Amino acid sequence: MEIFVLAFFALGYLVLAGADIGVGMVLPYLGRTPGERRETIAAIAPFFLGNEVWLVVTAGVLAGLFPALEAELLHENYPLVVVLLLAWVIRDMGLWLRGRVPGRGWQAVWDGAIVAGSWGLALCWGALLSVVALGIQGPLLALPALALAALFGTHGLAFAALRLRGVLRERAAVLSGGAGELRTFALTAVALAAVGVLAGVRLEPVAGTSGALLVPVTLVMIPLLVAAQAWVWWTFRHRVTGPSYL
Amino acid sequence: MDTVELARLQFALTAGAHFLFVALTLGLATLVAVIQTRATFGGNPVHQGMTRFWGQLYIINYAMGIVTGLVMEFQLGLSWSGLTEFAGNAFGSALALETMVAFFVEATFLGLWIFGWNKLNRWAHLALIWVVTLTAYASAFWIMVSNGFLQNPVGYRLDGGVLHLADFGAMVANPAALVAFAHILSGAMVVGGFFMAGVSAYHLSKRTSEQDFFRKSLRLGLGVAAPALMVTATFGGMGFGTMQVTKLAAWSGDLAAAQAEMVARHGPGDWLPPVGWVQAGGTWMMGLFALMLFVAAPSTLLMLFRPVVRGLRVWHWLLVAMIPVPFATMLAGWIFREMGRQPWAVYGLLTTSEAMSPVSAGQMRFSVIAFTSVFAVLVLINYWLLARAAKAGPAAVALGDRPIDAPQPVLTF
Repeated sequence: MEIFVLAFFALGYLVLAGADIGVGMVLPYLGRTPGERRETIAAIAPFFLGNEVWLVVTAGVLAGLFPALEAELLHENYPLVVVLLLAWVIRDMGLWLRGRVPGRGWQAVWDGAIVAGSWGLALCWGALLSVVALGIQGPLLALPALALAALFGTHGLAFAALRLRGVLRERAAVLSGGAGELRTFALTAVALAAVGVLAGVRLEPVAGTSGALLVPVTLVMIPLLVAAQAWVWWTFRHRVTGPSYL
Repeated sequence: MDTVELARLQFALTAGAHFLFVALTLGLATLVAVIQTRATFGGNPVHQGMTRFWGQLYIINYAMGIVTGLVMEFQLGLSWSGLTEFAGNAFGSALALETMVAFFVEATFLGLWIFGWNKLNRWAHLALIWVVTLTAYASAFWIMVSNGFLQNPVGYRLDGGVLHLADFGAMVANPAALVAFAHILSGAMVVGGFFMAGVSAYHLSKRTSEQDFFRKSLRLGLGVAAPALMVTATFGGMGFGTMQVTKLAAWSGDLAAAQAEMVARHGPGDWLPPVGWVQAGGTWMMGLFALMLFVAAPSTLLMLFRPVVRGLRVWHWLLVAMIPVPFATMLAGWIFREMGRQPWAVYGLLTTSEAMSPVSAGQMRFSVIAFTSVFAVLVLINYWLLARAAKAGPAAVALGDRPIDAPQPVLTF
């Protein structure tokens, strides 16, 4: 049962946050003027905070239910996890800060942080998932890492095609062509989840001894947490029509 | 510095930076929730403006709290895998519950509160800020349960060389956690209250046009900070009853008996915390508390007189100068608490050097330098931004200034 709890939050993170990371990666391509860029960011603005908490809970589940695995996974991949965290911090600060001061220079710096941070996140996740799923180390790691980063980017484009209008929507549909927007998004989501499942299977997590307490609590909480997130999804179900607070 | 020292420095700087922002988050969230409640029930435009102004400062501050918190959470597995492996089956439950029953809801609803402004029903919007505030308290509670376990481990069973959770109720009811939680939560109200009073005093001293706005804010800030100071001190005093003998010994300077007791129990070795740090932390905490009390007590009288609130500039400047004091007090308190736990990671069970991950000195140096430099830059930028938004006043607030999906209105003069 513990393993399903871990999988639920980890896969939820990959699919949901994968979309906002992917949009961050393709931000310069989608948003070419300051107005377009702000509108592109509005596509992910209401979601990114609620998306990244899935990873926070994944880490919490690791700490509570799989302490041995948490220790092993994190310190054995120390430099990679450190860079991942730095990329995460820089991407988030880019999102939070870009709109707080008017001026092209300020916004260019933080847009750069969003793009660099998003690429850093995607590449680090690509590398980390490849280390776990394929057991590769060294320079060869770059290949699957780049492939997975491309998957994040494609997932971002698919999400942007669902959220944006007009020319931004057309740009976002560049890879999917005539295929349905929802179907494309479902496809990239399944692909990301499949990578996560593959890594999880290779990891063979062994649960600790707190399951008797934590698993029932989790099973009660999950419907509430999903309902809270569904409220966000429902509130922002329409296409973006203008800039947001960010 | 050896690797353990570097790992400790890294955690101390991350946790210290995190707490500077978290303390203000806890305090300001409460104040914003109170103001928004009055605005929603009364419909007074001044209260509505106050909700947006203080709300925006709260959000600027919040972002930094999140990113430092993320790094802190992952550092447990990164640099302290010895601790996670040894005690994760016990105190890891509290960390898991923090993420699941508190932070997940807090962050999800905060996003809805920010981006759903003028889009959601106003009662739903009010409910959101209260949920965000209460889950922030819950988050602090579970973190203090984890920290309390490390300070005073209870409710565990030692089996196969590692700890397991034996009595969840005992872990939650740990006095080292509960007293500290109350101490810290009321301390956060002091931070938020002095911040609100100080920023308001700045605007009153500048004679900006929003007299009513900042008079109300100043009164609210001081009205919360002054009683919260007394509550904080009460729980701080109670905290001495839950403290380890070695921390008390380091504080009082009467070391021999505690060292002898620890040697009898754990064998030869230096079992005392660094006395200088403990005494400096405790002394600064109490000294700055006295300073805050000397300012807050007369201020709660002065704030009752409208001409004084409007015109007494010396007092305004004093309140502005007081803004950093509660933050410094918080950090001093944490140094007292955490340095006083040394040399233990889990008191009496696992030492800090045993808690360390088997990572190389080079890796640790890289991460210390990387995290410290990135956070140093970000902390400075965020404080500059916070000061800038605070000075700019209510007219410049972007939060909730229009329906979120509507086009930006054209400025007309």
